[in-house]
Amino acid sequence: MQIYIATLVIYCGIDVLGAWSVNLQFAYAGVPNFAFIVFVAVGAYVNGTTSLGPGQGQTYILGYHLPFPLPLIAGMVAAGFVSLVIGVFTLRSSLRRDYQAAIMFIVGVIALAVVSTDTRIWNGSNGIAGIPQPFSNSFAPNTYNWVYGAWVWAICLVCYFVVEHLCRSGWGRGLRAMRDNEAAAGSIGLNTSFLRIQVFVIGGMIAGLSGGLLVDFIGAWSPSAWGYAETFVFFAAIIVGGPENNRGAIVGTILIPIIFTELPSFLPEIGYVGLKESLEWIIIGLIWVGFIGFRPQGILPARRLKVDRDSTTGWRKLAGVGGNPFRERRLLVTPPPSLTVETSAPETSAVATGGRAGGARDDG
Amino acid sequence: MHTLIQAIGFGIVTASLIAIGAMGFTLQFGLTNILNLTYGVVMTLGAMLGYLVDSVSGVNPWIGVITGGVAGIAATLVIGKGIFPFFVRRGIGLLQVVMLTLGLSLVIQYTIAAIDHGNFYQLSFFPTGPTYHFGPIVITGTELIFIGIAAFLYLSIAGLLHLTRLGKALRAMSVEPGLARSCGIPTRRIVNVTWILSGMLAGIAGIAYVINTNTVDSYSGNDFIAPVLAAAILGQSGSPGGAVVASLLVGCATEIVSAYGGSAYSTVAGFGVLLIVLLARPGNVMSELTKKIEFTV
Repeated sequence: MQIYIATLVIYCGIDVLGAWSVNLQFAYAGVPNFAFIVFVAVGAYVNGTTSLGPGQGQTYILGYHLPFPLPLIAGMVAAGFVSLVIGVFTLRSSLRRDYQAAIMFIVGVIALAVVSTDTRIWNGSNGIAGIPQPFSNSFAPNTYNWVYGAWVWAICLVCYFVVEHLCRSGWGRGLRAMRDNEAAAGSIGLNTSFLRIQVFVIGGMIAGLSGGLLVDFIGAWSPSAWGYAETFVFFAAIIVGGPENNRGAIVGTILIPIIFTELPSFLPEIGYVGLKESLEWIIIGLIWVGFIGFRPQGILPARRLKVDRDSTTGWRKLAGVGGNPFRERRLLVTPPPSLTVETSAPETSAVATGGRAGGARDDG
Repeated sequence: MHTLIQAIGFGIVTASLIAIGAMGFTLQFGLTNILNLTYGVVMTLGAMLGYLVDSVSGVNPWIGVITGGVAGIAATLVIGKGIFPFFVRRGIGLLQVVMLTLGLSLVIQYTIAAIDHGNFYQLSFFPTGPTYHFGPIVITGTELIFIGIAAFLYLSIAGLLHLTRLGKALRAMSVEPGLARSCGIPTRRIVNVTWILSGMLAGIAGIAYVINTNTVDSYSGNDFIAPVLAAAILGQSGSPGGAVVASLLVGCATEIVSAYGGSAYSTVAGFGVLLIVLLARPGNVMSELTKKIEFTV
């Protein structure tokens, strides 16, 4: 029981990392990465082979013996590199976003087909197994799970601050501008193609990290672990938890991957084998569709971004990260109040709802 | 050379399977602008119901094919006319629609899985029959039937689009829906016709695909949707002729690579064609970005 809870805690941390990555790419930047699980898989495979060493009985590339934290970093870098290659080919500005989504979907299907048929890359559909758990000798199995959970969540904490900072920085505002109106974002000097590749690679690296953490814990990795339906778990977590909100992503992760796909293994089997899993997915799909239709902002809506208008001058102040005065920008977007009709409330703040672009100081 | 020609022969067979699906996808996508990923599960549904009818002994296999088409029409009408308009009226975005279709396809796929107990089913529709030799190309009777079905469907759709008033209205609407509406084209009826056509093609494509692989399960349609999507995107949305040419490219590339020993990379080859064309395509970036995309439902 205790082991089970510890395992859930670990899975939750790993899935939260994936959800943040999807959040950054999909909700902030509008990059439809339907091949997301491929980057998790690359991180997992590279982490696995570089900690396994040269293959005995299993054929794979990159069999090196690296000391503990290096395989994780290698997995991250490899996932980032694969994202760079795929992103350069597929995320072109001349392609409509739904085309990009379709192509990403195809990339996911094809990557799975290639890795499971070509046994030279990562041992085909059998996958790689026997990956050692780092430092598992130093702890009793029961404590080890908790120690590993703490390690995962420590990484999550670091990642949270990194992702949150990225989202609030000028770069993050650029992402939202690009998402909402790419032509306008381009016309104010944002290099949208480069921005998209950047967010794709950063997201890919986080995905690789989560894959690496997962494979260190479960010790094996094969194509059955990354069917393309797995991608949708992360998207469901984002849609339910709240797009554009990294805390919402945690809530969504606890709800969808943990409660809906992990906890039901506690329940007794109903009907024939596999019915429970089908029902799980039907419920997830219905929740997904329901949230898109009736509550697109998710359980925890993104905090509203406020644009304060200085009542004396009528200039709108766009404050930077955390209201840092050095990052203030001034933009003439409305005429001075003497020319406007509306002079009602004392705190004349135009609120851009739903986190539209160009927003600034958050009041959360 | 012999191997190459033989591979092209197989490529044409694969292409005819892809083309049936891609034509339906591209017609609907070109008109409504909805990237409809439920197309895969509609194919599964057509295949499943076709199999059910066929498994009743003594039934003409063509009735199974027709059942598949009818099931496709019914499912597509429910999705396209019952569900999508509701969401489009709520002002859903370009990517949200894709997410919506994905969510719906999850629901439908796993409903099918729950009903069919997640099993594989063997099926044998048409008797194997004699094989035909065209030079070095060897084709079975069933494969000839696929090519025939694909050619027949393409010709009838091309005829519908280019020779009839309805087709002219359809083409007008897929280019400029607002202008078409103001010219007095009954847009609602045209949209209905498009959904029906695309559903029928999805159902037939699904059943043709499972006849070719001889097994059907709840994933069949989704296994097949990647090449269909690739062909539809490659051939420009809204153009069945483009979809057919693209299917030929994808099919031949797949089969040629697998004939020369790279069976693991055959799907990659089919996809490689898409990538090369996308990279080489002269894209007018700004016009693509500033174009307002509206859903027509």
